[in-house]
Amino acid sequence: MLRLGVQTNNVIEDNCPQDGFAILKRAGFSCADFSLNGYLKNTDVYKSDINHFFSQSVQDLEAFFGSHKQGAAEEGILISQMHMPYPIYVPGGDKELNDYLREVVAPKSMALCSFFQCTYIVIHSYKLALYLGSERREWEQTEQFLDTILPMAKEMGITICIENLYDSVRGHLIEGPCCNAVKAAERIDRINDKYHAEVLGFCFDTGHANLIGIDFEDFITTLGHRLKVLHIHDNDGRQDLHQIPFTFTATRENKSSTDWDGFIRGLRNIQYNGVLNFETAPVLSAFPEGMKEAALGFIAQIGHYFAEQIDG
Amino acid sequence: MNISCQSIINPERPVQGIIDIRRAEFEGVFLRVSAHFPKSGSMQEGGSGCSDASCNKSREEWLRKKYSPETIVERYEETIEKCKESNIRISAVSTPGLAYKVDEEKKYVAFMRKCAVEGIRLCSQAGCNYMVVPPLRMENERAWESNREFYLTLAETAREYGVRILLKNQEKETGGRFVRGICAESFQAAEWIDRLNAEAGEEVFGFCLDIGICSLCGNDIHEFISELGQRIRMVVLKDCSWQRETALLPFTCVDSGTDWLGVIRGLRDVEFDGELVIDFSGTMRAFSPLLRPALYKLAKETVKYFSWQIGLEQGMKKYKKLVLFGAGNMCRNYMKNYGEKYPPLFTCDNNSKLWGTEFCGLEVKSPEALKNLPEDCGIFICNIYYREIEEQLRAMGVERNIEYFNDEYMQSFDFNRLDIMAREQ
Repeated sequence: MLRLGVQTNNVIEDNCPQDGFAILKRAGFSCADFSLNGYLKNTDVYKSDINHFFSQSVQDLEAFFGSHKQGAAEEGILISQMHMPYPIYVPGGDKELNDYLREVVAPKSMALCSFFQCTYIVIHSYKLALYLGSERREWEQTEQFLDTILPMAKEMGITICIENLYDSVRGHLIEGPCCNAVKAAERIDRINDKYHAEVLGFCFDTGHANLIGIDFEDFITTLGHRLKVLHIHDNDGRQDLHQIPFTFTATRENKSSTDWDGFIRGLRNIQYNGVLNFETAPVLSAFPEGMKEAALGFIAQIGHYFAEQIDG
Repeated sequence: MNISCQSIINPERPVQGIIDIRRAEFEGVFLRVSAHFPKSGSMQEGGSGCSDASCNKSREEWLRKKYSPETIVERYEETIEKCKESNIRISAVSTPGLAYKVDEEKKYVAFMRKCAVEGIRLCSQAGCNYMVVPPLRMENERAWESNREFYLTLAETAREYGVRILLKNQEKETGGRFVRGICAESFQAAEWIDRLNAEAGEEVFGFCLDIGICSLCGNDIHEFISELGQRIRMVVLKDCSWQRETALLPFTCVDSGTDWLGVIRGLRDVEFDGELVIDFSGTMRAFSPLLRPALYKLAKETVKYFSWQIGLEQGMKKYKKLVLFGAGNMCRNYMKNYGEKYPPLFTCDNNSKLWGTEFCGLEVKSPEALKNLPEDCGIFICNIYYREIEEQLRAMGVERNIEYFNDEYMQSFDFNRLDIMAREQ
């Protein structure tokens, strides 16, 4: 049976992380997606409002996260994946800001991933196609950035995962970076060959894919073994809502408007054996505090359903 | 690049549509033929205007007879004749787009094949080279095999009549939402065309890119076009809302705009020189018939604008030498994007304080300097006050080779300028 995970945002509190991991365990999860991005929020980064959490030394950061690591271990929760803060480059941002993100935040995130003995860290690629004029040039910038952290990944035994993102044109959502599965597969293979190690993989984000009408089954099948981790969540096709799967309908028949059958078929096609990880933190802020555990339990039940269907 | 519009002609009374097209100065039309897909027994109920089953049955029989695929050539004969009389070109013909029930698959395939064959004959009669045949709507796992057989059986007919078959990107519906269907991923579309051409033994197949479908499916349109390259023979310009396939006049879908920058960048990259079709049939239906002639004229201006933007570089290539008018952001963007390939002799500006200075490596001169230009030199206005500046030049006696440059859709943007804009937001 595939293992189930969920992001730590809105569950794990820094003052007593073990309590949060205990909640996850009771809800039915055995894995967690550690939200490093919660310590440097994207909304602040875009405003150049940096809190300098990552300015601490690696030793201090490890000391800060010691209780998190211990709490997870004591509750039997595996930190199976992490999310690096994003964006890692701000077009229009000061050089100082972008240097800080690339030279401080990224390597320290890698160090923390290693500290948690976590195998996968998800990054957001650069969004620069508008400025540079093509997706190819945009990827060249991302690859230059990757080359600064891939040697660390190799040394630490970590696979960095690129994720399918969306972009917006006057309110209309379109493909962002990493939405071409064929190109992503070629790039991952080429880079792994270059480093003689599995340093790059893919994180398939169901919500982002749904926003731009990607065929889940085709995309996942094309990625194949390169698909390492998941961000499972749902939306109405218009906004990146990060809600519970099967929540949205678009017809009077009230069938789910997201192609979860295609998702299951895709994972079955590639014999996916990673973690079924939910990126549904906003659900927990939407439900009242008293229902948080029940909501998490329900998400885990959906995970069990997916696992059964994928295992066939 | 040839310009045409999606047909607004009623084949049963074609004259008015043709008058409207001619008055809007369209040179061509894209005919999407209709045909009636015979309904199964249960689908005969509830037909419009009839409450009893016998009435519906006789209506169904009438529709089958009148609109069977076999009648396509005959039904559009008058349209073609009248178009020829009015010097309106038929740019392409398309089969009807149809959904079907799973248990009707054999009937559906045979019906679509017949429509395509008759459509090819119609193409030949109309003197046009392109027949748009969208892929059969099949489940993913059978999509290639079913379509391969379907298209290859059409290849012989296409060869015989000298017509090229164009595949088209499709959406598909799942749970009330539209997602990417067959050929809605660029690599799949490119692979299909190449395989079909290889199996057909010659280039019988190409691609018709529907921008509305790209928009509906959230495609990166620039990438889509770049991947398909010269396989794209025809582009259908239309706006499409985020939730359903519609054909809106470009720039009118204000809450969910199409990535026109990606469209123009992509078509420039591949030096598109095929059929450019504007489809505004959805917008047209919303307008009163009395207002439609004015709408057609706007549509013509719109597609002309796209043609001009796509071919912007062609305008520069025309001249051995060129100069710019304007020493501001637009001039900077010209120099960034085209300065090396088409270096101007100098630029000029109405601001006398700038005369004698240098801007982006160009000497800034007085507009008076434009009076002594050689004959083969183009003047490119790099300022949004195009018409006012053009008037100024004509009043100065400079009347030849006046062109507009525009930086709304550049291949790349001045990074420093955008950085400043981002900070200001």
